[in-house]
Amino acid sequence: MSKLKKIGFILFFVLAFGVFFIFNSHEVTGAGKQSVTVTKVENAPAGLDDPAWEKAKAVDVHFEGKERFAGKKASVATKAVYTDQEIYFLFSWKDANRSVTKGAWTYDGLKWSHQKGNEDRISLLFEINRIKNYATKGCAVVCHVPEGAPNAKDGRFGTSSAAEKGDLWHWKAARSDPAGFADDTWVTVISEKKGGRKGDAGKGGDTKNMTDDKSMPKYMLAPGKKLAKNDILLASHSVEIKDYSVFKAGDTITYRMPKMPEGSRADIKADSRYADGSWTVMLYRQLDTGHEDDVAFNPRKKYSFTMALFDDSGDEDSYDSEVLSLQFGR
Amino acid sequence: MIKTTGKSTETVFDHLAISGITRRLQELNVRTDVLTWHRFFGALLLVLLVLLVLSGAFMAFYYSPAPGSAYDSVDYALFTVPFGDIIKGVHHYGWNFFLMVLGVHLVRAFLVGAYQAPRQLVWVSGVMILLLVPIFIITGDLLPWDQKGYWSTQVRLSIIGSIPFIGDFIVRLLQGGPLTGIVALTRFYVLHILFLPCLLVFLIVIHMQFLRHRGISKPFLSGGNFSTKTVPFLPIIVNRWLILFLGVTLVLGLISWYWPAPLGDPADPTDSTYVPKPEWWVLFLNQLVTIFRGPLSVIGSVIIPGGLAGLLIALPFIDSSSERHPARRKKVILVAAIIAIGVLVLSIMGYLEHFRASHA
Repeated sequence: MSKLKKIGFILFFVLAFGVFFIFNSHEVTGAGKQSVTVTKVENAPAGLDDPAWEKAKAVDVHFEGKERFAGKKASVATKAVYTDQEIYFLFSWKDANRSVTKGAWTYDGLKWSHQKGNEDRISLLFEINRIKNYATKGCAVVCHVPEGAPNAKDGRFGTSSAAEKGDLWHWKAARSDPAGFADDTWVTVISEKKGGRKGDAGKGGDTKNMTDDKSMPKYMLAPGKKLAKNDILLASHSVEIKDYSVFKAGDTITYRMPKMPEGSRADIKADSRYADGSWTVMLYRQLDTGHEDDVAFNPRKKYSFTMALFDDSGDEDSYDSEVLSLQFGR
Repeated sequence: MIKTTGKSTETVFDHLAISGITRRLQELNVRTDVLTWHRFFGALLLVLLVLLVLSGAFMAFYYSPAPGSAYDSVDYALFTVPFGDIIKGVHHYGWNFFLMVLGVHLVRAFLVGAYQAPRQLVWVSGVMILLLVPIFIITGDLLPWDQKGYWSTQVRLSIIGSIPFIGDFIVRLLQGGPLTGIVALTRFYVLHILFLPCLLVFLIVIHMQFLRHRGISKPFLSGGNFSTKTVPFLPIIVNRWLILFLGVTLVLGLISWYWPAPLGDPADPTDSTYVPKPEWWVLFLNQLVTIFRGPLSVIGSVIIPGGLAGLLIALPFIDSSSERHPARRKKVILVAAIIAIGVLVLSIMGYLEHFRASHA
């Protein structure tokens, strides 16, 4: 065969395969699911402003307000990077007020009462085991279930069966961030007694600082210790109050004291900053913790997840995202 | 590589009770002009078919043909079983390349007039294989029970259902009921791994038998003056096939490693927002269905595709001239060129409508 024909054949095949790969490179999606790409980096970001973050493309995740926030919208700039061992998320969103009160005690000179105010939070939910229709319906299936649904008891936060499990990453400005963590919990079927949310194995969460009659705080800052970020009293830095006469009008004490997490509950580390009317939060964790109550990330796989934003609010009032797709770059 | 000389080799063949077969293959001589690489598309197809069978068998070990567990079983095979993603990728890219190479093989046979007498049935059996492959793809697409597979199947069944007289019957036969559920999945699975492979093997056997009976077409540029040197089928051709098998396996393996085979979200039959996009090989057919709507839909879904298939099958009997050179078959080449351009234009239109528009 002539050289020209050989070259022609080779070019034809290269062109055909090229067209094929271009064709296959288009994501086949349904109704425009937002995708967050986790960029591979050599060196893990050391903080919120690490240059490693410049390699990741920010995605503006859109949120719709529910209940008290109905009709309102929010957006969170989301980035993600990973190394051979860990995955890092960076979230940035506007918030006019830094809310870390969470019902802190205040003393008016005569009695103690709770301050009005809740806390700012952001949460992510991944599937540990497949949750039916989560990839298409998201929080409508798991978080805010309608009346009459199989997991409608308690109104929210539960899967339809024990076989369906979710990994809930819950960053709380008052109750977890001061300890340097996000609360690592998981979601399963709603039981008779409790909702479907459970803390990961190990210790963590927070403890209520109150006397048995719930009228005043029981603990104060221990001598030689300092308050943590956002002037929050950590449970490990507290000591029982022996003499209430030391307090004067205007004094405040943390009500919900973060506990230093241990075991599986301590998987997700956090760093944050509130400045110029915005929160910036970094969450990071091992790709695969080896714990059954955590999602194990495989960089060759993609994951559906949802996010929720709480602006000085309780669980009922939130901004919820649609279902998102997490994909790992090479 | 296989060596067929030497006492030890003959002893091995004898012990394996295949010495009769090996002797016949050694005595089967093949002209040296078929050793050129552009005449190896048939061999490449066989290699791809073997890889598809092997990779499919691997996945069948883990697959569970029920809507509640099909997706999880595919996910397990893909991401938990070692090298599962590469083997799935070999299967995914393998069928795409198989269809492409089949098309090239057919085009080559058409251009060199290899369909002409006395090789008409070699061509017809080859076209039957080409028409069978899409049914493999259609049945295979549903098996992962992901959004793309489920909703693509819904679109395809609705097109099949529009065929006059027999459309509804075929759909009920495939679905086993009014909905695409566990019965449909089981039937698609049985078709994909049992019925269709048996039919394909049968067609390949008769294709090879016709080829052996009529011989490989002579190079038409030689004017009859070509080398009649021959080489034995075993080991020369078999060794080339083995090299081809190793090379293709390596290439597909590397491609699968770097571009993992896609697995969409789990199928959600209640998600009416999902719009499946057509595969590259049906873009032109999809565009026909888009153009001919309503009462004219039968033109796009049945008449034109059926007519094209009929033309392909009937080609050796329509063009019964003895001339093989393309320059001396201008009418046939012209008609084929017009059809090819039409298919290309419709495919481009389909691509722009389904892919570029959604990215705008």
